[in-house]
Amino acid sequence: MAENVNGAAATDPIERYSRQVRFPQLGEEGQRKLMASRVTICGCGALGTVLANHLVRAGVGFVRIVDRDFIETHNLQRQVLFDESDVSDNLPKAEAAARKLRNINSVVTIEPVVTDIDHTNIIELTRDVDLILDGTDNFETRYLINDAAVKQNKPWIFGGVIGSEGQTMTIRPGITPCVRCVVESAPPPGMTATCETAGVLGPAVAVIASFEAVEAIKLLTGAYDALNKEMITIDIWDWTFRRLKIASLLGKVDCPCCKHRKFEWLEGDLGSRTTTLCGRNSVQVAHRRSQPLDFADLAAQLATAGEVRHNAFMLRFSADGHEFTVFPDGRAIIKGTNDVAKARVLYSRYLGN
Amino acid sequence: MPVIRIPTPLRPHAGGLDSVETTGASVREVLDKLGEKFPEIRDRVLDGGELRRFVNIYVNNEDIRYLDDLDTPVADRDEVSIIPAVAGG
Repeated sequence: MAENVNGAAATDPIERYSRQVRFPQLGEEGQRKLMASRVTICGCGALGTVLANHLVRAGVGFVRIVDRDFIETHNLQRQVLFDESDVSDNLPKAEAAARKLRNINSVVTIEPVVTDIDHTNIIELTRDVDLILDGTDNFETRYLINDAAVKQNKPWIFGGVIGSEGQTMTIRPGITPCVRCVVESAPPPGMTATCETAGVLGPAVAVIASFEAVEAIKLLTGAYDALNKEMITIDIWDWTFRRLKIASLLGKVDCPCCKHRKFEWLEGDLGSRTTTLCGRNSVQVAHRRSQPLDFADLAAQLATAGEVRHNAFMLRFSADGHEFTVFPDGRAIIKGTNDVAKARVLYSRYLGN
Repeated sequence: MPVIRIPTPLRPHAGGLDSVETTGASVREVLDKLGEKFPEIRDRVLDGGELRRFVNIYVNNEDIRYLDDLDTPVADRDEVSIIPAVAGG
């Protein structure tokens, strides 16, 4: 049995969950199933922090948290696991979340992974879990998760939020429609609101992530009859709650993913890893290297460009009026531009090819 | 009359309204009527004569793709909801 800092869990592993065990639909049997369950949370921003918080407190046995980003002050309005010290310590989100969560429940195994989820790593990140949870902020990654889940016949839970509105649906391959059945393609830039134009309210994210979390608890404990079979849409500002009837779309839609089993995102035919980051005036340049970067060497090379700071997780410097945040795998987030081509030039100039 | 529910991102193109009463016996006719009043919304929902792939339309919470698509009949007091995908999080 895992050690607990105060020793409480060592005597009765169920006792700390007594208030949810008393909920009859869960019970002790359900709790034991949760404790034997494994999940991957893709993205640890607003949705992901609420998801991870709920599931770790509820005692899900293994929680892998995957996120590509670092923490900024404007995240703190809604990303509930982070605080100002995480910003000043330059911690990646996955690592900061893991540190908080281990203090909340030391019995749970938490695996932070600082990486950009893409078609080369998503199977490895999800192969050994029972359920995949959506904490992302973009449809590109969601279609990728959808492909990986359908291919592996693994359930996943979609959630999206903007402004005061949110959507969620629970996908069980072969039993429910998949996300591509319902949302055939992602909105192109300029055709819909973004977090930059519409903003986002913390409570809206918390509601959708909480729906996702309770669906996760049902799925992991086998309470399949209680699952949401439709697309839920809410608007917490004007009190709208709808259950859009999508269950009948299964098999009816000519879905490339779940009907034809064409996994275009998973096979890398669709999607680009160099991308602007919504509402951030930043571009992520994906340039994965086979060997991790040596930050000490890189810092020495960049010393002429100005002040360079680094810890074990990332290296940061400013040059040409842009702030560069570089990760050990070679990926960089360049702040101060939304121009992908310009960001690629800047990357080559300071970090090579 | 049928009522069209306008999603938040499109409300700036509908004079800030969250719903619009209109006329028409099918989803297509209802959207055409809406487009006469607010052409920018029509362009964001329809591409030529077809529904854009990232927008879904529901009549009384039923997805029109398993009804009769844009030819789905609309009756008096029916609610036609335009629901774009929500990308953030």
